[in-house]
Amino acid sequence: MAIIQVNHVSKEYRLGQLHSVKQSLQNAIARFRGHAVPLQAPFKALDDVDFRVEDGEVLGIIGENGAGKSTLLKLLAGITVPTHGSVSVPGSVSPLIEVGAGMVPDLTGRENIYLNAVILGMRRAEIKKKFDAIVAFAELEEFIDTPIKRYSSGMQVRLGFSVATSMDSDILIVDEVLAVGDLAFQRKCFDRMEDMIRRQGKTVLLVSHNIRQVERMCNRVLLLDHGKIFADGKPKEICDLFYERSDVRIKSQSSQAPGKSPGSFQRGTGDLELLSASLLDSTGATVDKIEHDSDVTVKLVFEARSALNTPTFGVGVHTTDLLFLATKDTEGQLNLRAIGPGVFTILFHIARFPFLPGVYSLRVGVAVGELHSVVLYVEGIIQFQVESVNINRAREMNQGFVPLEGRWEVDERASQVKEIAIREKHAEGTVQTLLKS
Amino acid sequence: MITAIKNIIDYRELIAVLAWKNITVRYKQAYLGVGWAVLKPLTLMLVFTLVRSFVGIPSGNVPYPILAFAALLPWIFFQESASEGVISVVGNAALIRKIYFPREVFPLTSMVTKLVELGINVLILAGLMMWYGMAPSIYVAWVPLIIVYTMLVSLSIAFAGAAINVYYRDVGAALPTLLSLLMYASPVIYPLDLVKNKLLVERAAGNWSDILYTLYTLNPLAGIIDSFQNVVLRGLPPDFLALIPGAILVAIALPISYLFFKRAESHFADVI
Repeated sequence: MAIIQVNHVSKEYRLGQLHSVKQSLQNAIARFRGHAVPLQAPFKALDDVDFRVEDGEVLGIIGENGAGKSTLLKLLAGITVPTHGSVSVPGSVSPLIEVGAGMVPDLTGRENIYLNAVILGMRRAEIKKKFDAIVAFAELEEFIDTPIKRYSSGMQVRLGFSVATSMDSDILIVDEVLAVGDLAFQRKCFDRMEDMIRRQGKTVLLVSHNIRQVERMCNRVLLLDHGKIFADGKPKEICDLFYERSDVRIKSQSSQAPGKSPGSFQRGTGDLELLSASLLDSTGATVDKIEHDSDVTVKLVFEARSALNTPTFGVGVHTTDLLFLATKDTEGQLNLRAIGPGVFTILFHIARFPFLPGVYSLRVGVAVGELHSVVLYVEGIIQFQVESVNINRAREMNQGFVPLEGRWEVDERASQVKEIAIREKHAEGTVQTLLKS
Repeated sequence: MITAIKNIIDYRELIAVLAWKNITVRYKQAYLGVGWAVLKPLTLMLVFTLVRSFVGIPSGNVPYPILAFAALLPWIFFQESASEGVISVVGNAALIRKIYFPREVFPLTSMVTKLVELGINVLILAGLMMWYGMAPSIYVAWVPLIIVYTMLVSLSIAFAGAAINVYYRDVGAALPTLLSLLMYASPVIYPLDLVKNKLLVERAAGNWSDILYTLYTLNPLAGIIDSFQNVVLRGLPPDFLALIPGAILVAIALPISYLFFKRAESHFADVI
């Protein structure tokens, strides 16, 4: 028996401003007279979404911004109703759509626990019983009688999370809440969620942009795209699909003009300008996709307004979410005393590009003088895709950014077993077994 | 209507906690605390008493200040619980976007909040009566019923008003002004007896007198204020003749208002 049923649900919103009274009246009169009223086409936040969730399932919902994730959760929590179709949620729902719903800054932690818990639908007697556990989990014993306006934002979130997860409901709806608090508390939240999922067998709906988290916790994932279910299935497959799609999207968004692509960051003194940046493959052709483990050259064209004394150039690789992966500068290699003014080109040759398939970006820094004062620093100058004919993209995401070089063996002298059999490929393709007594 | 009552019972704790929150937040950092609730009726009472010394309003055998104060209690309770009820849904937009419970909780909470303030003012009234050496009669037992009836009156306005206010904020802005106009059409400054005498005894409007009086008492507050004064101060039972027209109006308006609210409710989160 499905614990959540979503039957061909659509949710439409009218775009633009709400009509004024005058406009509404005019429209009503026009309609009364039989004139057609120009209607704005509604925006479909959800379009014919249809699925069931079984008892005990942990369903992740992923998708880009505006895909309809939050609208879907709002429908499930009963906050709003679908335009077409129906939603049936017979069990009790504890929505963590935003932790700390209705918390009041002027009230103390203690008062807010009661307030928040009652708003979520707990009974007073139940709260009394769980009160100490809630406080202990939030680690706020000392501050419980302090108004929460004096709390740090992390403390407030901890309190909210602690209250919401202490509810005994059949279904837990979580929207992006685990991304808050310090690392230790995030860990605790994870553990509590996992406990609810594995031990108590609760049905959980998890909406998150943290795909790794979704992949880890869920046993089924929905990928929404523009209000439609794009894919529904095993976490692994769906998350890989999502990565692929967002890689393509990031690539298509990034213009090749240096420092102008979305998400790029630039600062400098203005003495030096990066005119262009490009990637060249081993044949010297400009490319925007490179092969893993191939030789690549970064070509940077600068224009200096004045001469740069003892300049140092640096190039780094980072992910699109600005995780810096590797950097190399000219120090000790290219000892320039001065360069400029004028236009000049710097080449940086990377032998056997080490990063696994995905979308990466480059950053460039230029410093002058003994003190290395920065004259130019740009992040996200070009985005490029790394591909590999050998490595399956789906496997790579769990394997990090670089392959680890190494060699495996069984320590035969330290092992006391009856048999260690090693398959060894012969020229004929047969397998020979080595026996060790 | 049955679901409405069931909801009230199911969500009584929520209403109680939210009302407690309203009161705590409003008075927490104020030195006088809940004492501020008596400020409005007391000042108005003083103003009315001052005005009366110029124009002369008969007050029967009850001292005028206490008569005015007794009129102000149900009036202010009605006025504030209606106007706060109307803005209550919009005022809790953050909650409405995040969590579901029956939305009538908000107007009801506003009312319960005002009920607490009314309770404090009743204590002041009791103090005033002691000051004037007045003892209530057995008819004072009517008070709870009169208050419940006043609640139904303000809910008739609050439900529909709150729902419309989500779409057009004009309602919330206009209502306080409209209600203060209604005060002059209610026996707050003057006693109902004054109107009754003019219309039913002196027949000031000729044949229209009866109709005018019915129209006047169609305002439920006319009957409420008069009955409240009767049972608390005059030692008389409520004047049912003055209560009935208003009660009929409320019996029609409240269900309509409530159903309207419930129909609009599911779109609150989208529009608010």
